[in-house]
Amino acid sequence: MTYPAERIRNFAIIAHVDHGKSTLADRMLQVTKLTDDRTMRAQYLDRMDIERERGITIKAQAVRMPYPAVDGQEYLLNLIDTPGHVDFSYEVSRAMNACEGAVLLVDAAQGMEAQTIANLYVAIEAGLEVIPVLNKIDLPAARPEQIAEEIAALLGGDPTDILKVSAKTGAGVVAVLERIVERVPPPVGDADAPARGLIFDSVYDAYRGVITYMRVVDGRFVHGMDVRLMATGFHNEISELAVISPEPMPIDALGPGEVGYFTAAIKEVDHARVGDTVTDHGNPAAHPLPGYREPTPMVFSGLYPVDSDDFPDLREALERLRLNDASFTFEPETSVALGFGFRCGFLGLLHMEIISERLDREFDIPLVTTAPNVAYEVHLEPRMVAPNQPPVLAVSNPADLPPPNRIDHILEPVVEAMLLCPSTYVGAVMQLCEQRRGDLRKMEYITEERVELHYELPLAEIIFDFFDKLKSSTRGYASLDYEPAGLRRGDLVKVDILLNADPVDAFSTIVHRDKSYEYGRAMVGRLRELIPRQMFDVPIQAAIGSKIIARETVKARRKDVIAKCYGGDVTRKRKLLERQKEGKKRMKSVGTVEIPQEAFVAALSVGGGD
Amino acid sequence: MGPGLYLHIPFCQHHCGYCNFAVMTGADDAFRTRYIAALKMDLSAVAAGGPRAVAPPGADVAPEWPTFTSVFVGGGTPTLLAPSDLAGLLRHAREALPVADDAEVTSEANPDGLTADGLSALVDAGLTRLSIGAQSFAPGVLSFLDRRHDREAPLRAVAAARAAGVAQVSLDLIYGAPAETARDWAASLRTALAARPDHVSAYALTLEANTPYAARVRGGAQAAPDDDVAAERMAVAGEVLGAAGLERYETSNWARPGARCRHNLTYWGGGDYLGVGAGAHGHWQGRRWWSTRPPARYADAALAGGSTTAGSEILDDATRRVERLMLGLRLVGGVDRAAVDPVDETALRDLVSAGLLDEDPDRLVLTAAGRPLADGVTLRLLPG
Ligand SMILES: Nc1nc2c(ncn2[C@@H]2O[C@H](COP(=O)(O)OP(=O)(O)O)[C@@H](O)[C@H]2O)c(=O)[nH]1
Ligand SMILES: C[S@@+](CC[C@H](N)C(=O)[O-])C[C@H]1O[C@@H](n2cnc3c(N)ncnc32)[C@H](O)[C@@H]1O
Ligand code: SF4
Repeated sequence: MTYPAERIRNFAIIAHVDHGKSTLADRMLQVTKLTDDRTMRAQYLDRMDIERERGITIKAQAVRMPYPAVDGQEYLLNLIDTPGHVDFSYEVSRAMNACEGAVLLVDAAQGMEAQTIANLYVAIEAGLEVIPVLNKIDLPAARPEQIAEEIAALLGGDPTDILKVSAKTGAGVVAVLERIVERVPPPVGDADAPARGLIFDSVYDAYRGVITYMRVVDGRFVHGMDVRLMATGFHNEISELAVISPEPMPIDALGPGEVGYFTAAIKEVDHARVGDTVTDHGNPAAHPLPGYREPTPMVFSGLYPVDSDDFPDLREALERLRLNDASFTFEPETSVALGFGFRCGFLGLLHMEIISERLDREFDIPLVTTAPNVAYEVHLEPRMVAPNQPPVLAVSNPADLPPPNRIDHILEPVVEAMLLCPSTYVGAVMQLCEQRRGDLRKMEYITEERVELHYELPLAEIIFDFFDKLKSSTRGYASLDYEPAGLRRGDLVKVDILLNADPVDAFSTIVHRDKSYEYGRAMVGRLRELIPRQMFDVPIQAAIGSKIIARETVKARRKDVIAKCYGGDVTRKRKLLERQKEGKKRMKSVGTVEIPQEAFVAALSVGGGD
Repeated sequence: MGPGLYLHIPFCQHHCGYCNFAVMTGADDAFRTRYIAALKMDLSAVAAGGPRAVAPPGADVAPEWPTFTSVFVGGGTPTLLAPSDLAGLLRHAREALPVADDAEVTSEANPDGLTADGLSALVDAGLTRLSIGAQSFAPGVLSFLDRRHDREAPLRAVAAARAAGVAQVSLDLIYGAPAETARDWAASLRTALAARPDHVSAYALTLEANTPYAARVRGGAQAAPDDDVAAERMAVAGEVLGAAGLERYETSNWARPGARCRHNLTYWGGGDYLGVGAGAHGHWQGRRWWSTRPPARYADAALAGGSTTAGSEILDDATRRVERLMLGLRLVGGVDRAAVDPVDETALRDLVSAGLLDEDPDRLVLTAAGRPLADGVTLRLLPG
């Protein structure tokens, strides 16, 4: 049955990892009788294995809960789950846009974290009604009064008005549902306008095609309707229209404010992108809903099969992954050192890790992954630009950076980072941000003890180990969130690594000039340890353009011959030689230098770090 | 150069830590007697089978044995046998097979317990050459190597051999033990030379798997040999031995003119040889085979008249070329290109320009700089 809009409430839960979002959601399902104790499985909403293992939500889901409220009416509550990591902040904002309200759930023992506050700002920007809730009040360590003060300081309002619950015991959960009914505004939409729905998630399913989650804004979507995805132009008939409650339940129609999913024989999620607008192909809306953005990869890395014979398999695996993750990109590239591979673009480092892990887990292809880097905008020296050549280059592989004399200047992506920490650690946090070329933009005491810092930081400076460093220098008390904030001019140089005077493209890196010597020395030193001795001396150099900034030598091996009495056992000696020959095949050759695959992996795995 | 005959005597008084040859300690007289009987029986059986039985099936081989030009009794420690037993074995070889009158007949020997009388008995039985395992003249090195003889023993052994009329005496030395200093090595070489050997084998200590030494290295009790040190020692050996008039003819072997070891040259030149005894290896016209390694099992099989062969392989042309390259490069004279081609031409050019190989269109010959890198050079020259 379709509900009238005034009895629909769409809401999200904003919470930091482990603050109890899944437990609260499960509890709501129980209260609304959608699950009983027997069928309730822990963390109903989180689905992917990787999410479960890492305790984060990557993909949003939605669940529909009919709720008989104290006022005697039955309301339809739609809980729209949001991803919980900065890499997926765009997905977060789309999911928020599908709601009118948000529950801000805060662990009463832990207090607020930067990510929570960042998501809270997204919710406020999207105009949502925010309902603060303190969780885990059953814990002895809970400090509800103090944390309520902090929340009130941020949101305004009366701290005593903040709900206090225990998702674990269920205490206070009904009050949360009541408050949602009472405070979250019902959706407004034009039931008679051409149908429009906002896609807030799309999930690949091998059997049914892409499952597209949407929030209806205007009009009605009915089973069998020919729907069009406005950004991609793809259209097809709806073959399945359903809601999740909490198992999928077919439905004939969805009206304004309602949330559900459809399938329409869509082969890849790229056709039904998060943020896109669905409309009626026969009677299309004039304009899509605002806010759609193409997914833009922020972090890049080269993925190469260890065994070059695996290249076609890697391509197939990447294509398969892309079917259900439209936010990562790949393009074939070649490396002198590593052979054929792909330059892949990711939303962030976590996203990159997730993709590599899935490649490993689901496809079992041993890979060499080059150090992650960001994309640069390179403005060429006007005198060096040929007439039909573009004056600006986008460089996502450091090896592609032109020589210094051809470059006028380089822009690098920066982020607006929000850091939240106890006031005792402000010094440590600032020191770290300064080291990473940060610009302090704002500093605010939320309360006496908690400080909110805003820095503009080069993205390249935070994709390596910034988070680890932040945690270790604040004993885990600081938290971080960031969002892209455009491009900034940087004094950047490319450091090349040369083996025996041949540049090894896979080791080229773009760094700030002030850090180039340090980087060069570290990389050259590491390679000297990793590269086995050869028949000849192998000079290892770090260079900026033609200028050598660091140098080491792997001394030539002086003896390898087995100088021992072998008697007549020639077979053994030959077998040894044959084994060495096999081993040699697994080496990557750079000019005349032979490098074992493991040395490459080891050198790259720490690439860019300190 | 005709074919060679190798006979294996596995007995040792004590198992030296570094050694992974087919050896056994603690054999009693009864077993030694049994083993010698088995060895003789096996040798007779091989001899009776003729060359077609050891050559690859269907190979174009004459039915009669050609004349053998070398006999080599190795171990283990052949001189641990009573001289009469060893002499009996040498005589038996001449009865079983056509051995040339002027054949080179070598026995390996440990420095301890050699007497002029005992050695005379062997000379009477045809022995022409004695290869004595001196290893080192530095007490610290001997103890690191787990050798039980004193530093004078090899000198006494050489004197006994000379007195008995052994025509050629060779000394084995091992360099590169972590306990050895540069001075130790120079002194060992000088002491060895003072004994006026006809031949010297100087080997680099090699860490072999499944030896007590390997176990000690793993456990941290002893250090592994260092290749850079070995390279230096090898260079010093070349200088000192060369200056004394000994010519190097292989990676680890030096001889005065006319005293090169014929038997070993047969191995390195891809020639034919029979191997009889526990763990012995033979080669005939492209077939390699080896005998059962545990002495007791070997003896049982031989005495029962059964097969003592534990394994064999037939070498195809490409494999024979690989072997010729691998062994031929170790010879100071190098190897004929015709016997080893094709090789990797790019690698060859690189190696020549790096000064590791001579520039010679017809032969592959290592330079002095290339000699200690023979294995890497071989690996790079292999085609494909
Ligand atoms: N004591 C207590 N523990 C809770 C409460 N709510 C959640 N937890 C526990 O906190 C942990 C994290 O909860 P979870 O719902 O998975 O957090 P999420 O990461 O935000 O989804 C789990 O071990 C829960 O059992 C609560 O109200 N009281
Ligand atoms: C088969 S052994 C027999 C020699 C005799 N039993 C002796 O020890 O005096 C021949 C020679 O090989 C050399 N040898 C044996 N094991 C070696 C190793 N692991 N590294 C280097 N040389 C070794 C020794 O110099 C030894 O004298
Ligand atoms: S080195 Fe010689 S004596 Fe020592 S165990 Fe080996 S064969 Fe026997």
